[in-house]
Amino acid sequence: MAPVDLAQNTLDGLMIGSSYALLAIGFTLIFGVMRRLNLAYGPTIMAGVYLGTAAFISFGAPSLVVLAIVIIGASLVGLYVERLCFRPFGEAARTASMVASFALWMQIEEAAMHMLPQHMNPFPPLLAAPPLEIGPLMLRADHLIMLAATLLLAGAVTYLLARTKLGLAIRAVIDQPRAAAIVGIHVERIMMLTFVLASAIGGFAGFLIAATDAQVTAMMGMWATTKGLVAMMLGGLGSVRGAIAGGLLLGVLEAHAQWFLGPQVRDMVAWGLLFVILAFWPGGLMGAKALDRTMAVGRRV
Amino acid sequence: MDTYVITVLSNIGMISFVALSAYILLLSGQISFGQQAYFGIGAYTAGIATVMWQWPIAVALVLGALAASAAAGLVGLATLRLSGIYFAMATLAFAEIMRIAAELFVYRREIGGIETGPDGIDGFRDIRYFFANDISPFQSCLIVYALLAAVLASLFIVERTRGGRLLRQVGEDPLLAEVQGIDVMRVRMAAALSAGAVAGLGGGLYAHLMTYVEPRSFDIMLGVHALAYGLIGGLGTALGPLLGVLIDIGLLESTRIFRGYRMIVFGGLVAVLLIVRPRGLLDEVAINRIRQALRRRRRAGG
Repeated sequence: MAPVDLAQNTLDGLMIGSSYALLAIGFTLIFGVMRRLNLAYGPTIMAGVYLGTAAFISFGAPSLVVLAIVIIGASLVGLYVERLCFRPFGEAARTASMVASFALWMQIEEAAMHMLPQHMNPFPPLLAAPPLEIGPLMLRADHLIMLAATLLLAGAVTYLLARTKLGLAIRAVIDQPRAAAIVGIHVERIMMLTFVLASAIGGFAGFLIAATDAQVTAMMGMWATTKGLVAMMLGGLGSVRGAIAGGLLLGVLEAHAQWFLGPQVRDMVAWGLLFVILAFWPGGLMGAKALDRTMAVGRRV
Repeated sequence: MDTYVITVLSNIGMISFVALSAYILLLSGQISFGQQAYFGIGAYTAGIATVMWQWPIAVALVLGALAASAAAGLVGLATLRLSGIYFAMATLAFAEIMRIAAELFVYRREIGGIETGPDGIDGFRDIRYFFANDISPFQSCLIVYALLAAVLASLFIVERTRGGRLLRQVGEDPLLAEVQGIDVMRVRMAAALSAGAVAGLGGGLYAHLMTYVEPRSFDIMLGVHALAYGLIGGLGTALGPLLGVLIDIGLLESTRIFRGYRMIVFGGLVAVLLIVRPRGLLDEVAINRIRQALRRRRRAGG
């Protein structure tokens, strides 16, 4: 157990963790505004990535075009999910929204497999540069791009939420949907915009993830949903900072667990940590007090 | 009867146990993504009991149900104060931990000259109790439905007692229930224990009818399907989850009408259905209406 290994693992974990953080930001946005869980979020991303890779396979589309297709595709699929699973229900039918989004997950996955029947599909890599060497440590350039993109995007989302009129409207809808409606905010439109925005962020994350892997399978949907959810819950619901912290923590933890204990135990450690955090600090590492009782009492008083 | 029909019927029966398990928790107001874990615990426990310890099937099934119930109780201690997405994620985390634990679980022994037992990711093969005791697929199907009927009957009875009303009351509004002096945690714990036992019983049957189980059979897909069945079929009666299973497995998977497009059809159908009926086909309103109609007819007839 050399210190170099520890440092290398931590570095690798941060890089992978940045993709988890991106997924968690999208999840947080949707959950914050809707107060409901979108299980089809990962499959939405996968659908966008599949559309992009289909363009890559059939016309050899360049990376930038693929990126555009992925983001637009994910946004459109996101819109479809919002229309069918979230728009028709009020907050009261939370379970219905969640189950409906699961149903669409199944649907999207099968549709994607009809589009590209092969199990594994090539995806254009970001760049083919050799890994950078910093002293004894190795660093992949595309991972560095991913980390930078995550921080940039997190900054942009924070700016959007804190400084713009749209952000103010989104926060108003999060805090008090009814009051927001009374002061003239078009709540349904804000919800739809947030949903599409989150799906676009997801598409961006999906593009980066698929590009660093240089391949994509239909399993990406389930992978993105579970990783994004775990990262979001670790960091605590409803904060962009929490989503980033949760994502990076999950990445670092997995990298170390994989190195010392192997891939199966890696996943077990991640789920175990989530279980312990939920059982003892349900608000997550950076979230507010989240036990429903306090919140429910607060809402009613 | 055609063997294919028997297999489909048995599948419907066995999956109904997980669906009922998720339904019990739904009634108590909790969404669990993890009932597949108890199904798996029941399957492994009962399988080990008949194969490795040579126990009779009835005892093995009871042991499977008890083990699953005990696990549900332990998980409940840590998670039942949570609700909504927090509870859902905690139960999912537990179920995934159990699935990976099953991938690592190796317990091999020589029984009758052949090495057997759970073998990690390769699963647990040759659970041949039914075969060895000359129980035909038709008879085992009958066993599944007899036990399912027993579970349903107890659910119907409980729903008519004070306990059933407490369950729905807690599910409807835990805060209000608490203010009225109901011990919410105790009601939820009772729901979790019985939901675990029902899933465990189904798992034990599953292991013996399929003759082999593997960790992959108990992944999140089974759990979310179980949840979906209750919501499609309806939360008004214990028959609701069964209707959901019937629609999915009986109609779509088995008739092969939509070969290759089953999920596209089923997914769209469920999404649209939930818009029209957010609490399923047989929701509380529908059940009340049916009950009134029955009562009127009885009065008119008598």
